[in-house]
Amino acid sequence: MTITAVDTEKPRADAAPRPRRGLGDTARAYLLNAPAMIVIGLLVAYPIAYSFWLSLHRYNLKLPALERFVWFQNYVSLISDPTFLSSLRVTVAFVVVVLVLTVVLGTALALVLNETFLGRGVLRSLVLLPWAMPGVVNGLMWRTIFDAKTGALNGLLLQLGLIDSYQAWLTSPSGAFFITAFAQVWNTLPFTVIILLAGLSTIPGEQYDAAKVDRAGVLQRFTQVTLPWLLHPLLIVLILETMNAFRAFDTIYVLTGGGPGDATNVIAVLNVRTVLTYTDFGLGSAYSWVITIVTLVISIGYISTLYQRGRIDV
Amino acid sequence: MNPSFSRRRVLQLGALTASLPALSSVLAACGGGGGSGSGAVKFSGWDYESALVQQNVDRFTQLNPDVPVEYTPITSAQYVQKTVAEFTAGDGPDALYVYDDSLAGWVAAEYLQPLDGLPGVDEVYAGIYPSNAEAMTVDGKRYGLPYYTDSQCLIYNEAVLAKAGISAPPTTLDELEQQSLRIKEAGILEFPIGLTAQLQDTWWAWVWGLVFASGGDMFDAAGNPVMDGIDPTARDVFAWLQRAATVSRVIDPAVLQLLPVPLDDAMKNERYAFTVGARYALRDYNDPSRSKTAGNLKIAYIPSLDGNVVGTVSNTRMYALSKDTEVKDQAFRLLTYLGGFTDGQPYTAKYWFQKKGLGFPFRALEQDQEVQTTLATFADPTIYSGLASLARPRTAIKQPWYSEYENEQQKTVQQLLSDQTSPDDAVKALSGTVTSLKQKYS
Repeated sequence: MTITAVDTEKPRADAAPRPRRGLGDTARAYLLNAPAMIVIGLLVAYPIAYSFWLSLHRYNLKLPALERFVWFQNYVSLISDPTFLSSLRVTVAFVVVVLVLTVVLGTALALVLNETFLGRGVLRSLVLLPWAMPGVVNGLMWRTIFDAKTGALNGLLLQLGLIDSYQAWLTSPSGAFFITAFAQVWNTLPFTVIILLAGLSTIPGEQYDAAKVDRAGVLQRFTQVTLPWLLHPLLIVLILETMNAFRAFDTIYVLTGGGPGDATNVIAVLNVRTVLTYTDFGLGSAYSWVITIVTLVISIGYISTLYQRGRIDV
Repeated sequence: MNPSFSRRRVLQLGALTASLPALSSVLAACGGGGGSGSGAVKFSGWDYESALVQQNVDRFTQLNPDVPVEYTPITSAQYVQKTVAEFTAGDGPDALYVYDDSLAGWVAAEYLQPLDGLPGVDEVYAGIYPSNAEAMTVDGKRYGLPYYTDSQCLIYNEAVLAKAGISAPPTTLDELEQQSLRIKEAGILEFPIGLTAQLQDTWWAWVWGLVFASGGDMFDAAGNPVMDGIDPTARDVFAWLQRAATVSRVIDPAVLQLLPVPLDDAMKNERYAFTVGARYALRDYNDPSRSKTAGNLKIAYIPSLDGNVVGTVSNTRMYALSKDTEVKDQAFRLLTYLGGFTDGQPYTAKYWFQKKGLGFPFRALEQDQEVQTTLATFADPTIYSGLASLARPRTAIKQPWYSEYENEQQKTVQQLLSDQTSPDDAVKALSGTVTSLKQKYS
């Protein structure tokens, strides 16, 4: 009989692993995210903060000797600045027109494209084209179409006998205003359609079936079923399109330069001209912050008004 | 793993690569503001005919092999903004183009240095038209050497006038309107007058030209507005503009979206009988390879309210020296070559005239046979030089608020042309604009 020696070197089976000393999870998370946070801080947060800092200064490159801290004087001066007030009125009108057209046309187009019909896929693809077009190109295209001398629209209307001579569409204040609004709508409408189409696709077909059983008409089905379900997508559309319209610049600048007179001098055009042409960085930064604050306030208003109403009990 | 490519080694190489841009920036900064670091003169200008500019710069470097030049053309539409941005960043050029309406602002911003006392400057200023000398002088100091100049004139299509039985260009604004009506009523052109009246970041020269032609001004010498009472000329010119645009309708309503290039095309295709523009445009207008009506487009003095020949407006484009340049001597030699005399002759000014018909600032070229022979092919030399002698710069271009005023003036004239305001309200509004701008900039 042989005796086996006991292996006294083996560890105890029930011994728990000793916790490793080091950083906690929270600290580790911050450490690992630090590079990204630094980049965001440098490229986003710092410029934003700096622009606000500039807006508190009188800072015009033409008069560097007069640079000084003026607290909120740049903002206060806007209250009595006729140029700014005029621009604000134009901008508000522009935003309202663009939003109304965008929501109405976008909803209509989304409803159509949500129906099943031959060629729907192709149309859905084509509807995206305007969105792919840069604002400058959009402006140039519509400028060409509406040109007083060689414009396609004039040519078409003349051929149809609807006008007897070429018209200068962009030279009247109202004409310039509505054409720029139309151009803006045309450029951003696809985005609205996409959002609303996505919203429509989430509506259960059973609800429409139930509505039909209850003998609800088309209009009633729209107001009682479709619209409530679309309130959240519409909220997104309203927020983003308000921002886009309030910041509209490139299409307008190319089409009219902000004219005739002040007819299309929206605040973004005024802002760019103030900073780049007049080199008034302080006032220009204040304009930028006004745009930011206004769009933020409007967005909060949308959310507080529409979000609760968009809650669906299913 | 091979020790040469261990994880540690890879990280070290990555860090070194990432640091290279920063290191380059530091080295560039050590090169000094305004300098390229290589000792070359950094020369910037808007990109008008940049190939010709390069050709001329190359000639300079061949003549001056000890002065290397790095020429950078900048898109015209962004020239002011980019140049300001460069100076703000401490990386401005050593020598550069300057618009006359940017000069005072850039002097105030301390981007430029005066040229007084430098060799040859006095000779240049003695040899150029007074309007150009004035435009390049700020607070009694000279900051520029002339690149080119031009003045506004009436440009008319002789053939179109002949079709309407008109044998001579108009001398008064009323006559301009009457001749235009004759052309209109004859069915030749619906709108005989074209002007560049879309809002632009540059100036509308024709407005100033019309006012100066009638002996008026917008401002006095101190930069105070005179258009709303002291000097009624601007108001009267505005009244004529509004009448011609909205009553007799001889000014094309489409001018509110008309920019310089489309206007040029329209003139060359006989879509207008009249415009007010720069003299050098005639070089292009009368080029048979580019113009349908070459040879028919002529220059004349701008019509005035009373028919007297009084004046017109000029613009001056100039070369200037950066305040902080570290290669001042070399940069100034380039400036002298470009904006001064070479072997007693204004070489570059003649070069630009011969190449592109650009207006020359040097009186001596009025006697240059080659110049006059070339000039006669596209414009009347007598009227050409007469305009140069009569021309004067805009009164307020040295005010820091000028660019804002110009924009407001453009908007106001647009409103006049589209019947949104009256001449009295227009001049009153402009005067109010000046008052508020003065306060803003004080």
